[in-house]
Amino acid sequence: MKRSIIKSLCFLSAVLILSLPLYAAAADTIKIGATEPLSGTFKDIGERYLDGVVYAAKVINAKGGLLGKKVEVVPIDSELKPDVATRKAQNLIMKDDVRFFCGGTGSSVGAAMSQLAERENVIMYTYGMAAATMTGAKCNRNFFRPCANTDQQSYALAELIARKGYGKVAIIAQDYSFGQEALAAFKKKLAQANPSAKIVAELYHPAGTKDYAPYISQIIAAKPDVIFTPNWGNDLTILLKQGRPMGMSQKIFSYYINDEVTIQALGDDSLMIGNMGAEVYTLSIPTKKNEEFVASFYKDMGYYPTWLRGKAYVATMFWAEAVKKAGTTDVDAVIKAWEGLTYDGPAGLWTMRACDHQAQMPLWYTEIVAKTKFFDHAFEAPAGMAEAKDVSVPCAETGCIMKKK
Amino acid sequence: MNEIAVFFLHGLAYAGLLFLVSAGLTLVFGMMNVLNFAHAAMYMLGAYFSYSIMLRMSGQIWLSLIVCPIALFIIGALIERFLLRKVHANGHVAELLLTFGLAYIITELVKWYWGNYPLAVNVTGFLNGTVQIMGITYPIYRIFIFLCAIFVGLLMAFILYKTRLGIILRAAVNDSETVNTLGVNVPLVFMGVFAFGAALSGFAGVIAGPLLSTFPGMAHDILLDAFVVIVVGGFGSLGGAVVASLLIGELQSFGVLLFPKLSIALMYMLMAAVLIIKPSGLFGEEQ
Repeated sequence: MKRSIIKSLCFLSAVLILSLPLYAAAADTIKIGATEPLSGTFKDIGERYLDGVVYAAKVINAKGGLLGKKVEVVPIDSELKPDVATRKAQNLIMKDDVRFFCGGTGSSVGAAMSQLAERENVIMYTYGMAAATMTGAKCNRNFFRPCANTDQQSYALAELIARKGYGKVAIIAQDYSFGQEALAAFKKKLAQANPSAKIVAELYHPAGTKDYAPYISQIIAAKPDVIFTPNWGNDLTILLKQGRPMGMSQKIFSYYINDEVTIQALGDDSLMIGNMGAEVYTLSIPTKKNEEFVASFYKDMGYYPTWLRGKAYVATMFWAEAVKKAGTTDVDAVIKAWEGLTYDGPAGLWTMRACDHQAQMPLWYTEIVAKTKFFDHAFEAPAGMAEAKDVSVPCAETGCIMKKK
Repeated sequence: MNEIAVFFLHGLAYAGLLFLVSAGLTLVFGMMNVLNFAHAAMYMLGAYFSYSIMLRMSGQIWLSLIVCPIALFIIGALIERFLLRKVHANGHVAELLLTFGLAYIITELVKWYWGNYPLAVNVTGFLNGTVQIMGITYPIYRIFIFLCAIFVGLLMAFILYKTRLGIILRAAVNDSETVNTLGVNVPLVFMGVFAFGAALSGFAGVIAGPLLSTFPGMAHDILLDAFVVIVVGGFGSLGGAVVASLLIGELQSFGVLLFPKLSIALMYMLMAAVLIIKPSGLFGEEQ
């Protein structure tokens, strides 16, 4: 009896294993592997990004698919580890012939996926990994970035501070490559946009700092007009939570100010109101196309496509345009089609620059206000935009040497 | 001059938090020789219990300060009675592995029940206010943290050195068999010690909630700091924990002002220096 059960189990699993590649070959779908942390500390970020990709696929499929085929999103739990992401992606390439990958969380994962994409000749695009080097010194022809990098985002905020005429700026960042790059780009742009503006305090703290009081006292003593920080997660919330009661009352200009989870985690709207940010996609972009997108997303899902979801959605729709233009899923053809392509979506006119595969697009400013139609808590309101040319880094300055095939 | 006083004050508040977090850890190690890896997870439980209580108390922290330590005391007692005591015979490695595993289980339970994202914990009322000290605005809550630390420190010192219970405790650590034959229920004493350590960690979690962030990674974030404090102070030494907390608190505060480039490493440099000069820690006994 026992023996026969084992036998039949063996047979069943053999059938299953054998049928896998057959199924993949027969299925008439275009697969995208989405590498996101779907477990662990950053699960919440990964899930919201994935949501945007899945919704894009849904919209494409509702309109008859891409090149007549259905788009299927394959979630890959990267665990935010480069080796895990690439191992799982490699499996999908070999077993299911997946040619397209995307992801938004972790520049280290992105860098590893970029190398894998080049080696296996597949496409990797990101809607959130911001390290400038990925389309700079480490660029390659298989990697695309349809979202802003640290340079563009810092430029946009420096431009905003210059436009508003603030003369004294304090800057504070996490003491690792991301924070340092973000501040360097900010200082460079501010010096161009408003040469009379002064950096009155420049502070770096270890990521995950628990007591900000010594930093906050230095900021207050420097008497800045405004504060710029690329901090995210707890490093942003604790800075605000500890800083405001100590009298650090200046407006804060930050990369990730319009994150609804951060605002909720603060639990005190008064800490946030008045702060400003810049993003390639925000829920409040005042264009007709965006209003239509937000309305249909809300109708389908019952919640709003806030920034992470929106960024992943717009980037994936942009990718779909490239496949459509290529008329085939052949990787070389899609790469060629995407280079120089423009896409007029919910977040304005985006152009994929051929020289470094870094999309050029406007960045949308937001200001946190007490009341919006979206949430009960404080949230973003539109506050103008920076043109693509205002935040662009010239090809020659990126350090990217794109190899031709 | 003024600036030095302000940064000294910052250091005191942070030292208070460090002491609260490490007091229970060092107590349990000193009395029971158990390095409790689940200590930080219990601290996190305290913070989350406090979140749920404060939500219903419109942000008042007082009830949390009483209920959470009691809840953690009970949890600690149960862990000691039904888990730790069973593996005790198998030596330190088994105890270490047990508390290590408990830390993971508690963290996953917290994620499952409260969700995997940061929660808002804000105090209201008097504690949310500020005072003017030396011409600057200073949050009352930071002073409150320091006062709580003094209270806990004095309470522990009083129990250990001025009460009959303290005499029994110290005697039980030195020679548990003799104390046992004198009619004292030594296993019960140790259960009480572990439970009290858990209660202290819960208390620290309640205090930390409004200052830091209440999220599932908070245990992991604080554990290293607590270990550094007890390594510097000497494993198991209450006085050592006090001195080490003050040293690290002030070092962080003035380090940020004077050597900003080194702020990431200052705490570890101090630990390395202490370990080179006195491997058992500042107040640790030679083993």
